[in-house]
Amino acid sequence: MEKSQKILNLALLAGVTLLKSGAEIFRVQETMERIIETYEIYDYHVYVISNGIFATINEKQPDHYSVVRHVPLGSVNLQKIDEINQLSRQICQEKMPLEEAYSKLSQSAVIEPPNPHSMVLASGLGAAGFCFLFGGSLLDSLIALLLGLILQIYLNHTSGRRSKFLSYIIGSILVTAGAGLVVSFSSAFDFNHIVIGSIIPLVPGVSLTTSVREFFNGDYVSGTIHLVDALLTAICIALGVGVAIFLFTSLGGQLS
Amino acid sequence: MSMIFQVIAAIIGVMAFAALFRAPRRYYLDCGITGGIGWLIYLLVMQQGFSTVIASLVATLALTILSRMLSVWRQAPVTIFLVTSIFTLVPGAGIYYTAYYLIMDQIGSAAAKGLETFKIAGAITLGILLGMGVPQKVFIVTCRWGKGLIQHFKRDSV
Repeated sequence: MEKSQKILNLALLAGVTLLKSGAEIFRVQETMERIIETYEIYDYHVYVISNGIFATINEKQPDHYSVVRHVPLGSVNLQKIDEINQLSRQICQEKMPLEEAYSKLSQSAVIEPPNPHSMVLASGLGAAGFCFLFGGSLLDSLIALLLGLILQIYLNHTSGRRSKFLSYIIGSILVTAGAGLVVSFSSAFDFNHIVIGSIIPLVPGVSLTTSVREFFNGDYVSGTIHLVDALLTAICIALGVGVAIFLFTSLGGQLS
Repeated sequence: MSMIFQVIAAIIGVMAFAALFRAPRRYYLDCGITGGIGWLIYLLVMQQGFSTVIASLVATLALTILSRMLSVWRQAPVTIFLVTSIFTLVPGAGIYYTAYYLIMDQIGSAAAKGLETFKIAGAITLGILLGMGVPQKVFIVTCRWGKGLIQHFKRDSV
């Protein structure tokens, strides 16, 4: 393998892992450029969008090399972003030898599947916390906790198997129906607060934030991709809630 | 008093989200406290009689600045703190009420809620933009100053 090829592969591995974990375009691009410059190559181009990376180096030399990678939108993994960020900083500061840098990077580039139990617990706690935040009582929060758990169990079960949007619609139908069921048994609960709390794990906060930051850095294509993602997710949640309420009231249920 | 409970709920909720997005464990509390402060500011601004839109704007601005300070302090990407703590302000309730009123055939309320949801999303956008507009140098300088101060106090206590 030519040296230029090795250098670009190193930068690409860092870039792909960052992008997959949900890092900003700006960070991905800068990390790749810094790594390439560490090995004293200044003739390069790196272009990154939300779901792909294009890069060439040493275009005018005989050892020119270029790559195109498709990186599908993945689930957010903040730990990976932090890890790769620190490692690439280290690579640049110490001017680490290529081989060593590559072996270290490929070790930390492995994305372990999330622990399903802790995800379920986190979703439940998040739902309960936000239910209380939006004005629910402790009892409401308890139900939101349960629904949050159920929601994440369902999401874990369908992840990767079904379109993300379909599972979001079904997920929000599930929690709304659950809340309706609880409310019809006892009037001690507040339907609105329970549902608002338990749909929070689905709400597109990350997409919205990322989108704004991409626009701020001038990455309009990626900003638009995330904005559309946020908008569609919001519509899916609304759709799910709407369908569930409609079915529930049509069947004669009382919501308050 | 209820404000304290609300802030505690915000901290718990944001920490849960930090776990959900697989943030490194050592940042859980940072994320939680950032979210808690954001929500406290939101509540305080609301108490002054301002609308939810203004409150969201001010709280998002504070969150963004706080996240950037933490990011320099901890030498970690801003995303970690910003993405998790912003969840307290993202208009999940707005999405819900819009759908609710639409189904209940209260088109007027649905339109009002839908518009408010968009306004809040816009306020959050503006808050992040304003917060991101502060030059990085400010944070680097304040961080160095803060770390120097801590060193100073440590030396004194020894």
